[in-house]
Amino acid sequence: MHQVADVEVAKNIMDANKRLADKNLKNLEEKDIFCVDFVGAIGSGKTTLVEEIIDNTDYKIGVLAGDVISKFDAGRIEKHDVPVVGLNTGKECHLDAHLVGHGLEDLPLDDLDMVIIENVGNLICPVDFDLGSHLRIVVVSVTEGDDTVEKHPIIFQTSDVVVINKVDLADAVGADADKMVADAQKLNPKIKVIKSSLKEGVGLDEIIQTIEEAMNN
Amino acid sequence: MHELSMAQGIINAVLETAETNNATEVTEVTIEVGRLAMINPEQLQFILGVLIENTIMEDAKVNFEEIPAEIECHDCDFQGEAVLDDSDHYAPLVKCPKCDSLSVEVLNGKDIVVKNIVIEKPDDT
Repeated sequence: MHQVADVEVAKNIMDANKRLADKNLKNLEEKDIFCVDFVGAIGSGKTTLVEEIIDNTDYKIGVLAGDVISKFDAGRIEKHDVPVVGLNTGKECHLDAHLVGHGLEDLPLDDLDMVIIENVGNLICPVDFDLGSHLRIVVVSVTEGDDTVEKHPIIFQTSDVVVINKVDLADAVGADADKMVADAQKLNPKIKVIKSSLKEGVGLDEIIQTIEEAMNN
Repeated sequence: MHELSMAQGIINAVLETAETNNATEVTEVTIEVGRLAMINPEQLQFILGVLIENTIMEDAKVNFEEIPAEIECHDCDFQGEAVLDDSDHYAPLVKCPKCDSLSVEVLNGKDIVVKNIVIEKPDDT
């Protein structure tokens, strides 16, 4: 004989990630470490930006480099003599707080004052996953097309800063960088917008200054 | 885009509750999906169907309910259900219904919640 029962589960699947993100943040704050999380599409310039920040500041930086299956980004960053942990997501399209938590265990946190997380190249999925960072910067390049910002509203609504990169190539690819600026500001009136050409060193100072302002707040 | 990891989380939650309640079979599962979660219920249903093979929830009917988007407006302090402009986006723009501002904080509507399950269990437990 069987009986049928209606059982409440009330389990929020997103809560597990949020709890781990809070734990990561607490862990970082206990060690007085500032954490920046870079998101953006494949080829937007995230890794180059991480390299430039390492080379042009005196912070003791550790990096968590997210990649679906490869180690290329971690290998590039390693050459700048900073501790780096490559995080392979395998089949997933985003980093989550669980992977980041394990990555933090492998960084020498006692010797660091900044952790940079480079997410997997994707403008969609990272939206759902807090990692425990203090500042989220989305990097988008003009070569992705100047409708990229309006096509991916939520990542721009939930990030603190947007870097519009490769502006030196805008004419060559027929993109209007100012449209991307306007779209980002329309979607998120609070977002800080910085136009950059990392290849030419344009915008880097402003990006570093923005990170420092967030750090001191 | 990350339906697989969500589906695994859902199945773990269902099977855990089923086991605690000595279920022999799960016949129904109700999942609440936030209107703003970057999840497509159809894709979620598809991957769930693959992952539940050979489990006690194999034949469960899966129901989806939508959690509406609730916001607090930074400009006019409105709190409540947002206006969702999906005229040219599948993932809608979230707007304040009172002043049309896009400068809003999302209070609710991003979560995926396993709400309840219907199970069969032996009479004497």
